[in-house]
Amino acid sequence: MRGFRNALPWYLFIAPASLMLLTLMAYPLFDTLRLSLFKWGGLGPQTFIGLRNFSKLFGDEIFWRALGNSFIFAIVVPFFTVSIGLFLGVAISRRLKGWQVYRIAFFIPVMMSGVVVATLWANMFEFNHGLFNTVLRSIGLDALVQNWLGDRNVALISVMLVPIWQSVGFPMIVLLAAIEGIPQDMHDAATMDGVNEWQRIWGLIVPLIKPVLASITMLSIIGAMKVFDIVLVMTKGGPAFSTQVLGYYLFETAFRSGYFGYGSAIAVVMFVVVFAIAYAYVRGVRIESVEY
Amino acid sequence: MAANRLASRSEGRSVGGDRTLGWWAGSSLRPIIYGLLIVGALVQVYPIFFLLMNTLKTDTQILNTPFSLPTGFSMAPFIDVWTGDRTGMFFGRYFFNSVIVLAATLVLMLAISCLCGYAMARGQFPGNGTLHQALLLSLAVPAHALAIPLYFFVGSLGLRNSLFGLTLVYAALGAPFTIILMRAYFMHMPVELEEAARIDGCGRLGVFLRIVMPISRGPIAGMAIININWIWSELFFSLILMNKADVRTLPLAIALYKPAPMTVETVLALQYAAMALATIPVLILFFLFQRQIASGMTMGAFK
Repeated sequence: MRGFRNALPWYLFIAPASLMLLTLMAYPLFDTLRLSLFKWGGLGPQTFIGLRNFSKLFGDEIFWRALGNSFIFAIVVPFFTVSIGLFLGVAISRRLKGWQVYRIAFFIPVMMSGVVVATLWANMFEFNHGLFNTVLRSIGLDALVQNWLGDRNVALISVMLVPIWQSVGFPMIVLLAAIEGIPQDMHDAATMDGVNEWQRIWGLIVPLIKPVLASITMLSIIGAMKVFDIVLVMTKGGPAFSTQVLGYYLFETAFRSGYFGYGSAIAVVMFVVVFAIAYAYVRGVRIESVEY
Repeated sequence: MAANRLASRSEGRSVGGDRTLGWWAGSSLRPIIYGLLIVGALVQVYPIFFLLMNTLKTDTQILNTPFSLPTGFSMAPFIDVWTGDRTGMFFGRYFFNSVIVLAATLVLMLAISCLCGYAMARGQFPGNGTLHQALLLSLAVPAHALAIPLYFFVGSLGLRNSLFGLTLVYAALGAPFTIILMRAYFMHMPVELEEAARIDGCGRLGVFLRIVMPISRGPIAGMAIININWIWSELFFSLILMNKADVRTLPLAIALYKPAPMTVETVLALQYAAMALATIPVLILFFLFQRQIASGMTMGAFK
């Protein structure tokens, strides 16, 4: 009883947050799992159909395209953002001339809203009057003129360029902080040993920032897996589903076509994929948590 | 905080090694590295410059001479999109919707997160560990996976098309991360002051409100700054919850705004002005709080 009396005020402290998280996160998550077993048009009765939504997903070509494209996104985008970010982080940490300028220039797009960035790039990719084709035509490289967002062989690449452009600054800033956290005496020791820059990077810097590198890679993969804004603004999943991704397919299925049960099944797949990546990361890397 | 320490070191001298030996001194790679950096920086900045310039140009200029500079400065495109008389899209209103949702989300989210994080750091009660585990797990849940039930749940509360409804959703989505970081902060805060106040007869809530909150202004502001970005940019939930025109947020309105070029002299400039309206506040914020933003983002990734 006394223990409870002591605990009571704390329960009142956590009550508002717990209430919100239970109703707006835990309940919706379980309800998504439940709905994925039903056929439901949003109004009217929900019909229990077992795993039929999932077996239907299995034979749904658009779903496989969306899943495949999401994986392509989750591999290609982080690959470029993290490797370019690492290059930038190393370069800036060595105080190359103009390092403050590079740091700001690469970081500004990170702050911009995805919708603005996507709209801007959609305008630049536009076939007739977009910046890219205008430039290519004006310098006589008409052969390189592309229907950037309208050609099913090119569209996915065009769309992926945008998050790469927007988010290289994020791994840059995080890796920069990690690199600058390396104790100076380790650098001094390496200098004594007469290492060259190449050895310093691969033998000293990269091994020491590996946990942060792993964590930023995982965050970037999960972020790329959830891509939505860019696809909505730039292509709506087209042409011919060549840029369809899980997040957008879920949105279309549920909120445009009204298949809320089937949409929930897509949501479950998305949840499982993202959760599995995070879990694999936590089990596989097991970094020591950094003290604050 | 480690992140702040790290960020503060970023000023000043070169890290690791002697600057006179310098970067790739004497190496043939040196010009290539500088070349990549300079081209890269231009690629990053030019589109933003292009965006801002295009707010001041006519359609013909934007489309036919994309590199030309605007001939003069005019607030007209901004006034047009702000009032919406010509476009039918009332961006002034959407701007305020976004500001209201942002402010309300920050207040609500920070209030519940500080309370919860403080209790988790200081209190001993059954369920504390479980709560922490649950919060960590919730970070790995994609918000998309909650969308369908949330749509109906918010609807059943009558809060669809309501800025308050959107605020509740955003506050819940941002809370786990904020709670985890505030808990970590409170755990490292010295407890003596609070104990003294307790002896003086101050209740738990009194200690929290009169002592803990005032001395934690810095970290709380830091949490606000790192959350501003995603709240200001959020599209998905705004798109599904806000169907009426007058409650749109700025990103939603921009996503829906599709001007037909060349119908009158300046149509595209209006679209660019709307985009600038969403971007300029962020740029100002960035230049004011550069250090805090960088360290905040870093803090998130170290978790």
